[in-house]
Amino acid sequence: MKNRRIGGIILTALLFVVALITIVPFIWMFISSFAPNSEIVKVTGGLFPKPSTLANYVSIQEKFNFLRLFINSLVVAGLKTGIAIYTSAVLGYVFSKMRFRGRNLLFGVVMSTMMIPWAVTIIPQYEMFTNWGLQDTYTSLVLPGMISAFGIFLFRQSISGISDELIEAAKLDGASETRIFHSIILPMSHNTIAALAIFTFLWNWEDYLWPFLMITDEKKQLLAVGLKAFNGQYGTDYGGLFAATSLAIVPVIIVYMIFQKQFIAGIATGSGK
Amino acid sequence: MKNKNGESLLSRIFTLRNMAVTFLVVYFAVFLAYPIIKAFAGSLHDWNPLVGTYDWVGFDNFKQILTDKLFWSSMWNTAVFAGVSTVFRIVLGLGLALLLSAKLVKCKDTLRGLFYMPTITPLVAVSFVWMWMFDPQFGMVDKVTGLDINWLHDTKWAMPAIIIMTIWKDFGYATVLYLAGLMNLPRDVYEAAAIDGANSVQIFFKITLPLLKSTTLFIVITSLISYLQAYVQILVMTEGGPGTSTYTISYLIFDQAFQKYNFGVASAQAVILFLFTGVLTLIMFKISGDSEDLA
Repeated sequence: MKNRRIGGIILTALLFVVALITIVPFIWMFISSFAPNSEIVKVTGGLFPKPSTLANYVSIQEKFNFLRLFINSLVVAGLKTGIAIYTSAVLGYVFSKMRFRGRNLLFGVVMSTMMIPWAVTIIPQYEMFTNWGLQDTYTSLVLPGMISAFGIFLFRQSISGISDELIEAAKLDGASETRIFHSIILPMSHNTIAALAIFTFLWNWEDYLWPFLMITDEKKQLLAVGLKAFNGQYGTDYGGLFAATSLAIVPVIIVYMIFQKQFIAGIATGSGK
Repeated sequence: MKNKNGESLLSRIFTLRNMAVTFLVVYFAVFLAYPIIKAFAGSLHDWNPLVGTYDWVGFDNFKQILTDKLFWSSMWNTAVFAGVSTVFRIVLGLGLALLLSAKLVKCKDTLRGLFYMPTITPLVAVSFVWMWMFDPQFGMVDKVTGLDINWLHDTKWAMPAIIIMTIWKDFGYATVLYLAGLMNLPRDVYEAAAIDGANSVQIFFKITLPLLKSTTLFIVITSLISYLQAYVQILVMTEGGPGTSTYTISYLIFDQAFQKYNFGVASAQAVILFLFTGVLTLIMFKISGDSEDLA
């Protein structure tokens, strides 16, 4: 018994060492973001530069209006995530609990859209949105992301686990489909919502190509594109880049921490049979 | 106009179901079906939006691509990148999931959170972090390993460097999916195996691995599809270089479409990628035997 417990402690300790090695790049970036450039590029120094200043954080705001890009990304990614979760939940409900002609065919189409490379649709979409005069509007960013096949798939899996009797009972009480969805299905799907929130927010937050193509106005630009542009312009301002990159990962980590408890459960119902 | 339940005709037409399905179909028609048709049509044209050309050329774009050395080296790079990344993602992901699911291990939530961190951080950001990690002057990789490699500026090492970064970024996804899969495994099978005196290696290969088949298949397919489309880490870390040593098919398409504005050629390459992805996915399903596993 005692041996097993010691074995457990050793295994846990080993896993923590591996975990720390895994996140070393983040620690290194974070520490470096508080160091002056001369300290970062020092050849003779130790593994980590000495943190001593907040100047990098001040300079990224002055040099490329970091806060503006950050808020733009927050608004766009937040909005897109909300919309995608809502439409996925509705369609997941429709596909799992309602009958209509062509249901399985349509669901097959939904699933197969997951293997369509972005490269196929992006050129025509680019032409389409440019013709519609939607460049430099957030409409152009929100429109193409309103449906998530992955989301529909996850919700269909989890909602099919909700008992039909519950829904029938609500119908007998005179509740409409819309009402059943909002007051029964949606609250019972919180695990799936959490899992999808993490993924969708991340995908929208890191999306590069579409905002790069659609937004040319610097004031409206998103963070992922801004970071690359900043690197092109101030490629040797490592401190500034470290600071900007550190801040760029903060929101996704916060979203993850908020939803992580339900996250594994959400994935489990999604991938389970 | 009311039926026996007191619902008006309008409320029977504008149901949640009808509206949702209509929305989905219209959305697919506008943002998927039309663009796909347009991409196929565009692949047969000399299409350049800057010059304003859209002229029929038949299969000339395809002929040009299939005789282009860069296309074939990009395909080869893509195969290496996707293959190696997928294998490591699965091996590391499964290994860690098995360790993390062991009863003896404490602080599982914290550990899982730490291992998952690379996966939940934006790709553009971590591509930058690794670009500096691989810096020969102040980067951590050379400092820790004692190697003297200029990773991202060496034609031999640039692709391995991108693959290392990608594996680091992505193994957490496989870990989480495998953890979920392990949670769903039936307990009684393990108890029976233990009674029969099976050792842990036998249990892993005879029971755990086969039972995780659908999870593995899901990870392999989603990994291959996403790696065939990967370009962000390449755009940030090497821009295809040095030379053209890290061009992948999707980076090549990005380059043709939005740096050279050869929409026709890019569309033809995209069509090839599309067909390739489709065939690959079909093969994966056939190999696995039952396509029911995913639905």
